[in-house]
Order: sequence, then structure tokens, then C-alpha cells
Amino acid sequence: MIKKTFHGGYYFNCEDKPREKVIESVLPPMVVIPLKQGFGREVKPLVTVGDKVKAGQIIGRDDHGVSSPVHASINGNVERITKLKYSTGPINAVIITADSNPDWQPLAGNNRNWQLLSLEKIETLLYSSGATSLDSKGIPTRFKTSSNVGRDVSDLIIQGIEDRPYNLSLPALLAGERCTHFIEGIKILQKIMPRANIHLAINRNRREIKRELIQKTEDLKWLTFYSLPPRYPQGNDRVLAATILGKRDRKTVDAEGIAVLSVGTVLNVHDAVVEGKPVIETIIALCGPGWKENINIRVRVGTPIETITGIYLDQTNSNWMIIPNNPLTSGALADFSLPVDRTITSLTAVSKNIKVQRPWSLLSAISPLKGRGCSPNIYDEVKPCIFCGYCEEICPAGIIPHLIDKYARRNIISNELIRYGIFECVECNLCSYICPSKIPVARHIKLGQQRLIEYGFTEPEAGLKEDTVEKYCLGQEG
Amino acid sequence: MNKPEQNLNIKMQKETQVAYKPLLKSIGSFFVSPGDGTRLVPGLVDNLSTKRYMFLVVLALLPIALAAVYFYGWRIVAMILVSYFFGGMTEILFAVFRKKRFQADGLLVTCLIFPLILPPTLPLWIVAIGSVFAVFFGKEVFGGTGRNIFNPAVVGRVFITVSFPSYMTSVWQHPMPGGFGGFFNYGADLITSATPLISYRAGEIITYTYYDLIFGLAPGSMGETFRIGIILSGLFLIVTGVSNWRVPLAYLGSVVLFSSIGHYYFPNQVALPMFQLLTGGLLFGAFFMATDPITSPFTGPGKWVFGLLLGMLTVLFRSFSGSVEGVVFSILLMNAFTPLIDTIVLKIRFRPLGREGLSHNVP
Repeated sequence: MIKKTFHGGYYFNCEDKPREKVIESVLPPMVVIPLKQGFGREVKPLVTVGDKVKAGQIIGRDDHGVSSPVHASINGNVERITKLKYSTGPINAVIITADSNPDWQPLAGNNRNWQLLSLEKIETLLYSSGATSLDSKGIPTRFKTSSNVGRDVSDLIIQGIEDRPYNLSLPALLAGERCTHFIEGIKILQKIMPRANIHLAINRNRREIKRELIQKTEDLKWLTFYSLPPRYPQGNDRVLAATILGKRDRKTVDAEGIAVLSVGTVLNVHDAVVEGKPVIETIIALCGPGWKENINIRVRVGTPIETITGIYLDQTNSNWMIIPNNPLTSGALADFSLPVDRTITSLTAVSKNIKVQRPWSLLSAISPLKGRGCSPNIYDEVKPCIFCGYCEEICPAGIIPHLIDKYARRNIISNELIRYGIFECVECNLCSYICPSKIPVARHIKLGQQRLIEYGFTEPEAGLKEDTVEKYCLGQEG
Repeated sequence: MNKPEQNLNIKMQKETQVAYKPLLKSIGSFFVSPGDGTRLVPGLVDNLSTKRYMFLVVLALLPIALAAVYFYGWRIVAMILVSYFFGGMTEILFAVFRKKRFQADGLLVTCLIFPLILPPTLPLWIVAIGSVFAVFFGKEVFGGTGRNIFNPAVVGRVFITVSFPSYMTSVWQHPMPGGFGGFFNYGADLITSATPLISYRAGEIITYTYYDLIFGLAPGSMGETFRIGIILSGLFLIVTGVSNWRVPLAYLGSVVLFSSIGHYYFPNQVALPMFQLLTGGLLFGAFFMATDPITSPFTGPGKWVFGLLLGMLTVLFRSFSGSVEGVVFSILLMNAFTPLIDTIVLKIRFRPLGREGLSHNVP
């Protein structure tokens, strides 16, 4: 067991974390299946209005682009095909009305003795189950499912670090026989990525799970076990790769050949290959003060969020906002009719009513810097930077966010920005989170990067060409 | 979708449009969705706001203010109120003039620190003038809290020192310890005496013990004498993460270093390190004024350099200048050098883009 850590970061100290148990949710009367879920492109629908579909049936696929198939998650009829308004743009979705049959149709070719399956067979199973679209870069197979190529993966990192303010808890995921399933999943992944060093990084505070995993993986010589502190953003792909593989500069960490997968994805890999179960269910942690109970629920993919809120949300106060997944990298949902897709692992409900923090609430004021509470981002005013240095202190990339922010927001786009490491940013948004002046630092950094690329910046090494900078400066004056 | 949020969206849009007009047109709808939902990323933010940040400083200053009332009577409260009133009026007038919202965060601290570094017998009209000057020339002319170059309280204090030297050098009141102290008195009994630092410069024999100096039994500025309280409050700020430990440590350490060296060569001019630490406004300045994040360097090495030079200047001013106001003068001078120190540190820390390709040194 190897212990490592990184510079910077922040321990969240949120209450209202879900209990460590998974509860089966009711079957929804209707599901909305977006035709793009997770990594990859949108796929074309294979069904038309009125078709009868079975749970687990592939209703959309596109074998030519980087994508993965989409499944019906419930038995029923296709009602219509419509466009969903996501903040990133519209996505087509298939709406299915359900009958009350909870069965699902397994994938062809699965085998309990998966060691007997050929490599090609396993990759086909993974691809057709949809598991390859999970996590930020997907699982590499011989289909175009990831920016990596399976055979060339040199390092596979499996993370269960629980570094976010609210996480899907490991004990809930790995309860009972799921732990064995998880290890089977790792073995399957090892088979499809034969050249990879496999690293398993687990939250160091989960003693029992660590003990169990170490006990069960003793005979696996190719597996390295890491025990990492649950400090945000340790689970971020770039931070994790840099922590585990040693200090490397940005280019090597971003380069192809490193795959980062979460514990839940590995379980999906097991289910697809051993049980033939496509990704039609997902476990969601209901976090924050807004829910009647903080629990983990297992729901069908495509369940509209309003169905979940209808059952589990505390209705006495109607003013809740719901943030999907990591509250630091995503904002509140505007539309509760959007469905739960494969990628959603948690829904955080917080009250909109806290407008501005009262400065005299003494108890929270006295508590030290680490481990204060958090509140929804409804601050109405951005104040000037007071150089408190918190953003520099917590930045996992080792840059000075407020310095870059100063240049970027005044639109001073020059080589200075590159020199101060604007492209080192790992986009964890921790600087925006911690800023007492409520400056959207991370957004300004992102805008600065986009501005640099607009002005002809291509390689981190080269910087902007001198004449570009001069031309730009002249334009500024005029 | 309720109303305040809608306003918020519009405000955010305005705020960013000024800076990124062309870019925002293309991607504006991505960040600020038209119509509904706040969609601000991150969805959760930390509870700490500038208001609470400044309030922590006020909280740390309260015991010191209370001790000042104990030693010098209720007149201190009058001085603080006058300081808040006139400083606040200046801030409000400026906010109206510039059509911006009135922000009390910086004012809370400035107008409390300012009276605490004044002599207890100072007439209230001078406090009013100093407070207005501190807020106006120390802060508002630069654009408000966060944009000021000099520590506003120090600006006010130096202005008064220079403009009303007679009030600042001779009229020092002896503290009133014992029993309820100043809690039943309005103010001065006009038993005046010199501060230990002035006595030392005049070559008189110092009658105060270190005990007197630590517990505030020697005359001095109101907030500067109760030194044990200052140390505890300063440590409180460091523990809560509001002020950085580097500046006080570097400052006090360098005072000890330079006064030891100085005392060895010039025993008549330079006092011993312990005496330096426990007289004047050194502790108060080191824990509450030099640590002001806005006017001190933000880089770690810069903070060390800042503290080191502060200590050197303080010993020099105290020992060899005409006035004994070493702390405020050196803080004012070093504030002016803050941007330069930061620039030099950044030049060293981030190497220029080279052919080798590495654009940045990860520490």
C-alpha cells in the first residue's frame, strides 16, 4: 500500500451525506433516454414512434464515430422522439412509456467464466453494454470509444477517493458480493489492456474497505494499491495521474496512454461481461439538506429528475435547487424534467433562500479555515480581490489563480499569462469556490485560455508570436 | 424562478460584458443561460465572504478595544464612534458620487484600527479629520477596498503625526489600572507622562518593568499597550487563517536581529531587542497592520522580504530618526515597495518562455 498526496486542495466538511446503503427505487412510468450519454458523440435512433422495446435493447448506435450505444432502460412503447434543452445544446431523446414489467434482456454472448471469452468478445460486450462511455475519457476498446487506444494504455488508474463535497459512498457501492465483482471487473480490464500498469487508489479513511480489498487482491501482482486522502480535487484525472505517476508536466499527464476510471465504472464492466447487463441502472446519492432522507437509490437510466424529486424531495419548502454530480464543476439544474443519465452519480439539493451570509453568525466565523460549511452560489456581487491568498494556497496546479485572473479579466492577453501557467489549470473550480470576494476566478481563467487560443496560441512551449502580441496591443489602444 | 435571481443574471451579464464583450457574444449563452435558472458554476461556494473575513479581524480587535476602555476610560468609545461616523460618511459620499454600492467590509476594520493607534488624549476633532483623511486618501482615491496601495489606518496616523506634532509627542496619559479601572471614568485626569520609547530617546531612566509593558501599565497609544492581548488576538487571526504567519514572524524576528546587532555597535542609540518588542506599536503593527493582505506582498518569499525590511526600517527609524514613530513610517514606506517585491519574486519564480518548452515551474 502506497501513500501519496498532492500540494494544495481542500477537505470538504459537508453534512447530509447519504447513508451507506442502496435502496431500490420504484420503476418510473416513463423514461427519457438521451441519445448522448457520457463520453462520445450523439447516436442515431434505431427505433421509431410506436415501436415496442425491451429493457436492455439497443435503441441508438453509431459504429463509425466516437460513441457508444444507448439502451432502452425499461419495457414499453416508444412514445415520441424529442429534443432536450441542455445548457450545452440540444440533444435528441427517445421517450418510452413503461409497462410494469421489471425484467431486462441480457446481452448476447456473456459468460460467467469470462476467462474463456476471447478479447474481441469482451470488447464487444463492453461496447454494446454502454459501459465504455463512462468517465471523462471512456474505456478504450477496439471500437472508437475513447481518446485512448486500448492496446497502448500504459497506466490504468481506478479511483475511489470520494474527494467531492458529496460522493457516492464506497461502502454502498462495494457492499457484500459487489466487492468480489469489483475485483473481477479489474481483472477484465487488465485483460483488455494487457500492457497497462494498474493502480487502485482508495480513500484512506475507509479502513474496512481497504482491508478487504487488500486481502482479496493479494495474489494480483500487477496491481498497485494506493491509499490517498479524500482531499478535493484528488479525484481529478490530471491531479490523480500526476500524484500516482510522479510529478510530470502537463503534456505527459494529458497525453494518451493514461486511463482513469471510477469504482462504479469497474462494477459496470463486471456486470456487462459476466452478467450481460447493459448500463440501464445507475446508483444516485441524494445529498444535501433538501431530501427527506439522505440515501443512495438505484434508478433506471432516463428517469426524469422530477420523478425522483416527487418521491424523495422534502416538499415542505419548495425553494430547492438541485445540482447534479460535482457541485464544484456544475451549476444548478434549471429544468427538472431532464432525465438521469449514465453519468449522474449524485444529486445535491440545497436551499435557494440563503442570500448573503450574515457576518455575525459567530459560531461559523470562529471555525478555522479548513472545514467551514458551504452555501449555494447566489451571491449577488463580485468584489475586488483582497489578495487573501486562499486560491493560491489551495490550487492543486501550483499556480497563482488571482494573478492570472487579474490579467484575464482585464483582457490583457499576452505571453505573461502562459508564463504564469494558465494552461496548468486542471479546472477543479476550487479557486471560485473559496474566494471570499466571490470572484468567478476559474471562469476567468477559462476565458483567458479561450482568448489565447483565439489569438493564435497553439503550443504551450511556443507562446504567442511577438508580432501577434504587438498587433493585439495596438488594437487595444485604438 | 423568482425575481432576485433574474436580476442577478442581468447583473452578472453586465459585469462580464464590460470585460469580454466580443467573446461573450459568442459563448455568452453558454455561461448565462437566457431565461431561467442561475446556472452559476460552481453550484456551491464557501461560506467565507469578505464581510466575514473582515468581521473576524474586528472580533480579534474587540478585546484590545475593551482593554483600552479599561485603561483609559469611556472616552475611547467616543473616539471609536467618531472615527466610524466620519469614516463611514466619507465612504457613503464616495459611493454616491461614484454610483456604486456602499461596502462596509474594509471600513469595519480601518475605522477601528485607526483610533486604537492614537494617543488617548487626542481631541475628537483631530480623530474626525484623521478618519476622513484615512478613508479618503488611504483608500477611496485608489478605488476602494482591495485597490488601495497604503494601509488606510497608517495613512491617517502618519497624516496626524505630521500635521499635529504637538498633540502626538507630548500628551500621553498614564493608564488607570486597579479596581474597575477606566470603566467608571470618562477620560483623562491629565496626569501626563512620556511613553517608554520617548523616555529612552531622551536618555531618561526607564522605570517600567517588562511586566508593566506586557500588561499595559505603561503609557502609549490606546490599543498598543495591552500587549498580551495583542499577541493572543494576533495568534487567533493566524489560526483562523485570516492573516498569514510569515509577516509577523519575519517582522519581529528581524527587529530582534537588527536591534541585537545595532545595540552591539551603538549601545546608546539602539535599545535591546526585548525592549524594542515590548514598546511602541511594534506588536500591534506586526499582527494587525503589516499583515493587511491588500497592502503586503501576496507571494510567500515576498512576505519574508517584506517583514525583514520592515524590521530593519523600524529599528533604524526608532534609533536614528528625529521621531520615534518607527512602526507606522516603516509600514507606510514598505507598502509602497509591495508591488516591486511581488514583481521580482514572480520574475524569479516563473521563468520566461524558453526554447526548452517548460513554461512554468511547479513548486
